[in-house]
Amino acid sequence: MMVEDRNIRRLGIAAGGLAILLIGGAIAHAQTADRSVWTGVYSAEQAERGKAVYTDQCAACHGASLAGGDVAPPLSGSTFLNNWNNTSAGDLFERISTTMPQSAPGSLSGKQVSDVEAYIFQANGFPAGKTMLPPAQPMMAGIKIVASKPAG
Amino acid sequence: MTGISRRSLLAGTTSSLVLSGLAAGGKAAAPGQSAGPTAPDTEWRYYAADQANTRYSPLDQINASNFNDLQVAWTFKTDALGSRKEYQLESTPLLIKGRLFTTAGSRRDCIALDGATGELLWMHRVDEGQRALNSPRQLSGHGVSYWTDGTKERILYVTTGYQLVSLDAATGLPDPEFGTHGIVDLKRDFDQDIDLVNSDVGLHSTPLVAKDVIVVGASHTAGDVPATRYNVKGYVRGFDVHTGRRKWIFHTIPLKGEFGYDSWIGGDADKAGNGGVWAQMSADEELGMIYIPVEQPTGDEVGLYRRGDALFGESLVAVDIETGRRKWHYQFEHHGLWDRDIPCAPILCDIPHNGRIVKALAQPTKQAFLYVLDRTTGKPIWPIVERKVEKGNVPGEWYSPTQPVPSKPPAYDQQGVSIDDLIDFTPALRAEAVEFVKNYKIGPLYTPPVISRPGQWGTITVPGLQGGTNWPGGSYDPESHIVYVYSKTQPSVVGVVPNDDPKVSDFAFVHGIEGMKPRPQIAMGSETSGEFRMPPPPRPAPGQKPGGMPAGFLVVQGLPLLKPPYGRITAIDLSKGDIAWQIAHGETPDNVRNHPALKGLKIPRTGRMGNLGPLTTKTLVICGEGGFYTNEYGVRGAMLRAYDKATGQEKGAVYMSAPQSGSPMTYMLKGKQYLVVAIGGGNYSSELVAYRLPGKA
Repeated sequence: MMVEDRNIRRLGIAAGGLAILLIGGAIAHAQTADRSVWTGVYSAEQAERGKAVYTDQCAACHGASLAGGDVAPPLSGSTFLNNWNNTSAGDLFERISTTMPQSAPGSLSGKQVSDVEAYIFQANGFPAGKTMLPPAQPMMAGIKIVASKPAG
Repeated sequence: MTGISRRSLLAGTTSSLVLSGLAAGGKAAAPGQSAGPTAPDTEWRYYAADQANTRYSPLDQINASNFNDLQVAWTFKTDALGSRKEYQLESTPLLIKGRLFTTAGSRRDCIALDGATGELLWMHRVDEGQRALNSPRQLSGHGVSYWTDGTKERILYVTTGYQLVSLDAATGLPDPEFGTHGIVDLKRDFDQDIDLVNSDVGLHSTPLVAKDVIVVGASHTAGDVPATRYNVKGYVRGFDVHTGRRKWIFHTIPLKGEFGYDSWIGGDADKAGNGGVWAQMSADEELGMIYIPVEQPTGDEVGLYRRGDALFGESLVAVDIETGRRKWHYQFEHHGLWDRDIPCAPILCDIPHNGRIVKALAQPTKQAFLYVLDRTTGKPIWPIVERKVEKGNVPGEWYSPTQPVPSKPPAYDQQGVSIDDLIDFTPALRAEAVEFVKNYKIGPLYTPPVISRPGQWGTITVPGLQGGTNWPGGSYDPESHIVYVYSKTQPSVVGVVPNDDPKVSDFAFVHGIEGMKPRPQIAMGSETSGEFRMPPPPRPAPGQKPGGMPAGFLVVQGLPLLKPPYGRITAIDLSKGDIAWQIAHGETPDNVRNHPALKGLKIPRTGRMGNLGPLTTKTLVICGEGGFYTNEYGVRGAMLRAYDKATGQEKGAVYMSAPQSGSPMTYMLKGKQYLVVAIGGGNYSSELVAYRLPGKA
């Protein structure tokens, strides 16, 4: 309910702000505002790659089942979903790419980060689609993380 | 008008510490720092207010009638400290003579701020390179400690790379008389030879200052899949605050011939590591004792190489401040298999019992028992009874036949799992949960971990591996003798799997789930030990249902497996040993409020999981929320909430941009009461936020 309201508001803002842009651009932007992790924003193949990166780079602290540990938060389930609800895939990308792994922050490539993110999305039950998550933060800023599957 | 009553000042150890703090602060108050017309300045000299760890302040300018009027006085963003942002600022700052002191930022720099404005006064940093990246405890830590003789003032902190630093509080410059140029290398003079760069030891906690001694513990990489059973031993040491010279060491894993060695079978103590003290500690200078909460020896869920009761694992140990000699100890769990390190400092409290005032202590724990002991003798205030417990099926494991169970006070969070504890928002969800747990072992608190296999992936342990209560610990009101403690209801799966890969671990069994290849848990960043970093060959995961959650995810349709509350604050009356009140703490999470299966249902506030320390004042218990939620304006954030400390009734709440990540503290400065809390998490990087009431500062 609340989420829908926000989307409507964002669409309104987007439409208003884009009045001076080309029609095609406005349509693309409107689609972006609609995108959430429930619309198939990563591919199954990408998640599989991400799992390998995760196993090598992340699992030691966050656990094989993404359940977290004493010094690392869970990357799955209720705690994760709620702490990231209403942020964007780009926000999560930035957090991972600038701070992880804690022993060597900044060492993962953009592709590795987006692959890991695809795996995290898969583990949290978000559906796979045909496109891959892009390997850079600005390109996924419009993909909203929404904890609960929107109705309909 | 501040509420420092004569009664509270005279009511026992805790308050006498407050008194001495005030006296010292008052005496040293600089010109230009004149107190307001009605209220003298106060201080916050220790991580949790005082050496007793009460996290209590008798201030009441901020109270139930005005809490909702609080405004942000200033914020301090820590992004520029260290080479990258931090999102997990766990500090509680100190406030001394108008200056706030804390560690902050991803490099764990030490800073001083103006308590009224948040202006940066000085900053100290040590760039430790790879040594810091290898540390098992990264990021900014819990803060700093303070020492003064009335003239000299020192700020003490432990770096990420495990060095003890002594700074002049006025300037932030290292004390040239302390160690080498103000630094003591804690990896030396440790009664064991360890590598200065790669060894697995560090410390998040603040050192404890008692008299002229600085007490420093140790922490290690989490031990679910320990790389080696021969890990660094987490001894505790006392250092002279003037010179940095080591005064004493306490062997948390006893040497041959020392007390406690015989509690180990087959000389396992010679080899075992860990047994660190990563929690905060407490001190009673009058009794001349410090109280150190010890974690397990190596192996959080598997005890193959630490057979026996294995002192001083999971024990609270009282030692002499000046000599480090053991006075008494109490073991809360024998040979634990549930990662139940003692995570926080015991609260020292003088409580009425059988018609007299007893010098006691109350220890919050991961297992959600509050253990109450006489702090002079270590004897329980209420009987603690050894109860028979079940044995598991891990080959070669040693099982304690009994575990100690307090008769009072009652557990303050859920312990163990039964069908009745499963999610029951709707009959369909309950039915799904009942099916779900058929693939796991469930039972009471001390149900042992089992070998993981399809059909029984492991034991669902509640409280989970992260507690119950974790590192922030509790709070205590010395006037009413009530302990306030936050805890979360967060189950964990503890399965055990065989391991034959020495590159993963030299343990024959480790914590894990069948079908998921265990990963080595190594000191972060120790790529130098390349052999431990080789990725294992992928192997099929029978635990993974196609398209579903892998085994080990304790969720039902994305919702927590267990009934709420997921987080709570409990008031425990130590004059009776009973629970006075208990409330859900934290707004209902978004995915519960918006879940399609729960549409139309009226669900009371569920509370939130987190690691939270409450603050107690004259009238209120104040605690921020542990997780984000999206409010009625569509804005993400969390609330700092205030409860009537007598009843638990909520009296007010103010918005924070992110959840509480470090426990709040308070002080009076120039007639204004401030509340300062560390926040951050998710996509919101760390900051300190100071609140005060409106009006001219």
